[in-house]
Amino acid sequence: MEPFVRATFNIFIRHLYRYLGNEVECEDVLEDVYADIWENPDHLRDIANDAHLLRTVYLYYMRKRLREVYRRMNRNLALSQADLDNLVAPEMGLHEITEQAELRQLLHRMLGKLKARERKAIEMWMQGMSNRAIAIQLKTTVGAVKMLEFRTILKLRRMMKEYSDEED
Amino acid sequence: MANVNREIQELLADYGMALRDGCLPGFLKSLTREEAKAIRESDDFWEATEMVRLMNSAGFGDKVMTPDVGLFISRVDAAIVSRQKKAGASTRSPSSSPARSRNHANL
Repeated sequence: MEPFVRATFNIFIRHLYRYLGNEVECEDVLEDVYADIWENPDHLRDIANDAHLLRTVYLYYMRKRLREVYRRMNRNLALSQADLDNLVAPEMGLHEITEQAELRQLLHRMLGKLKARERKAIEMWMQGMSNRAIAIQLKTTVGAVKMLEFRTILKLRRMMKEYSDEED
Repeated sequence: MANVNREIQELLADYGMALRDGCLPGFLKSLTREEAKAIRESDDFWEATEMVRLMNSAGFGDKVMTPDVGLFISRVDAAIVSRQKKAGASTRSPSSSPARSRNHANL
């Protein structure tokens, strides 16, 4: 098992980070994921490449564990179980499987197509700034920043879909 | 009475911040029934969350402070040993059903 963990650890933990945003939780989930793989590796037969591996591990091992992280919380939540599952452990989306470097390049290209104000808001968000700090920089209100981000994110999503359709 | 529920764009912004800052449970707990309903009915919200995850990954995925892999492997080994013990205990128990066949990874 050790060579497999060494070869895949960085890929898997970065992928899990998309859904958890927290290293400690990523490690906890990944520990169970590897033990699950050890116990039942059948889904990993005939893996063609890294992307195929990541997709298979996400669908058959990670999603189950991601859902368990939040399942106990659900008694106190207003969300339905299905919505909670879709939020914390969704189906694979358009580019959820895209490699980190490729994703960054693609995003960089798409950001270049945005209006200056939209690009600035997203870049500041990706630098880790709060909405209040972004609002101060853009000389506007927090509410206006949230609306700007929402519209820009949907715009980016459409661009991503167009790119994906072109690729197909 | 004033409507205290967040609009969909505010919910997305708060989801994005929570994901980015690693505190998703706080966001989930903060949702009211009306907000949960608004989320359920908004296609835009679901499409935007996918994009937010990608942005989170592109912006911060490489900054993840990964632990020492050697230490992590010892955690995985301990988890596997624990499962082996549980499986062994269930096969030794006379009242238990036969252990299900296992096909352990030789990865």
